[in-house]
Amino acid sequence: MPLDHRRLCGPEESQPPALWAGTAAEDDEDEEGTGAAPRDPCALRPLFARAGLLSQAQGSAYVELGSGTKVLCAAWGPREAAEPGPGRLLCEFRRAPFAGRGARGRPGAVAEREAEREAAAALREALEPAVRLGRYPRARLAVSALLLQDGGSALAAAVSAAALALADAGVEMYDLAVGCALCRPPAPAASWMLQPAEPEERRAAARLTLALLPALNQVSAVLGGGRGGPPEDWAQALRLGLDGCHRQYPVLRQSLLRASQRRDAAAAA
Amino acid sequence: LSICSRTVEPLEYYRRFLKENCRPDGRELGEFRTTTVNIGKCLCSITTADGSALVKLGNTTVICGVKAELAAPAVDSANKGYIVPNVELPSLCAERFRSGPPGEEAQAASQFIADVIENSQMIVKEDLCIANGKLAWVLYCDIICLDYDGNLLDASVFALLAALKNVQLPLVTINEETGLSEVNLKQKNPLIIRKHPVATSFAIFDDTLLIVDPTAEEEDLATGTVTIVTDEEGRLCSVHKPGGSPLTGAKLQDCITRAITRHKEVKKLIDKVIKSITPK
Repeated sequence: MPLDHRRLCGPEESQPPALWAGTAAEDDEDEEGTGAAPRDPCALRPLFARAGLLSQAQGSAYVELGSGTKVLCAAWGPREAAEPGPGRLLCEFRRAPFAGRGARGRPGAVAEREAEREAAAALREALEPAVRLGRYPRARLAVSALLLQDGGSALAAAVSAAALALADAGVEMYDLAVGCALCRPPAPAASWMLQPAEPEERRAAARLTLALLPALNQVSAVLGGGRGGPPEDWAQALRLGLDGCHRQYPVLRQSLLRASQRRDAAAAA
Repeated sequence: LSICSRTVEPLEYYRRFLKENCRPDGRELGEFRTTTVNIGKCLCSITTADGSALVKLGNTTVICGVKAELAAPAVDSANKGYIVPNVELPSLCAERFRSGPPGEEAQAASQFIADVIENSQMIVKEDLCIANGKLAWVLYCDIICLDYDGNLLDASVFALLAALKNVQLPLVTINEETGLSEVNLKQKNPLIIRKHPVATSFAIFDDTLLIVDPTAEEEDLATGTVTIVTDEEGRLCSVHKPGGSPLTGAKLQDCITRAITRHKEVKKLIDKVIKSITPK
């Protein structure tokens, strides 16, 4: 690996201790998987959302899913852009090095940067239809998401957090974009599951991430792939995902409302 | 009479407060902002990391995650493990930080943290070695600033200390016959932390006034900064003064005294938090 001159370097290679834990750990995991009751595929994990928590960013949001995924997102309102033309939305997605369960992600590595760039492009795709870019000509809006812990459904949580942050920053939007992830386990007749946890996502045969604008009932992004079965299965998965997004919408709206109430109270004080 | 506004003439605005020996946010010159720390098992703990801590100094929020991995020790120091600190200032913590590789400030902060670890002997690298020349622990300490409102170094050192106190390393033995390592994830031991360094930062105004725990606004207006790191025995570990206006010896002595007092406050806070999370 080429030397990263901007960061302090440790040893060239290192492995997580879990690799050497050998068969004992794997047995435990398998037991957990089969021993636990099969989860309800339509069950949504508890969602925690809070907007307006960073002091330096114009808008910010923190979303936490029950499986442990934690995403923090900040947004900045319109700033002058050099190029003429309609407004642009610039998205950035970063993973903290300690976010993954296995080896530590190397921050400068090419693979990491590629994955981050892909996720940022997906984020932009999901958010652009929601923002009224026509109202901000010659401006750029910036959104920056940081994944603190990956417990599955990370991109979906990032979409929700980014939409919340933009709304918190006061950017004019048509609607909040709500993200939802699904996955299908490799068993032959398995059905699609909403909001997979990290071990389920790792073993999945097919994954799907949806972004929906609930009030307008329009889908802004669909990303995914894998061996999912016949097209009817995929259609059913989409419907499941849309339902999941609709169910998460009230929580996100509530968090925005509370944030604006807090802001009003602070301004009045 | 001149009415100066905070945005038009920030320095004049500040000087009026400093003349009365206080600051716009109501603090005294030697007063710290409210410090809160969340370690490990409390809320916002990172379960994927081996140890984690979240520190808030006023608005400045820093999270530290420690991941322990195994590697072969370096050839020239066969009995030493590695500690690799990495301070990241992502674009979400303040508008002036761009996305991409770490900038100057992040690099300087990483080097400062590495120096603090080395000078204070907080963790002795020999303790991290499992088998001479074959296997040693690597502690990757990733410190990410979530909200930058001044005084990054204090918060980072505090977060690092809190996270390291929370790290539990599994027991690793080398099988004599096969020469392979065996990791026992069930049996975990806490890390041996020998010293507890605490950093205290000061900003120098107009070459004379020293204020403790500067916010981002104060850092911009200051003519210099000083950071003093002390350990629990009241000994000086490091003094970091990157240029800026000169300080007399007496002023530096004042800073050191204040830093020693601050150390006691921080130590009490950490002990309280750790006691509240250890199962009885």
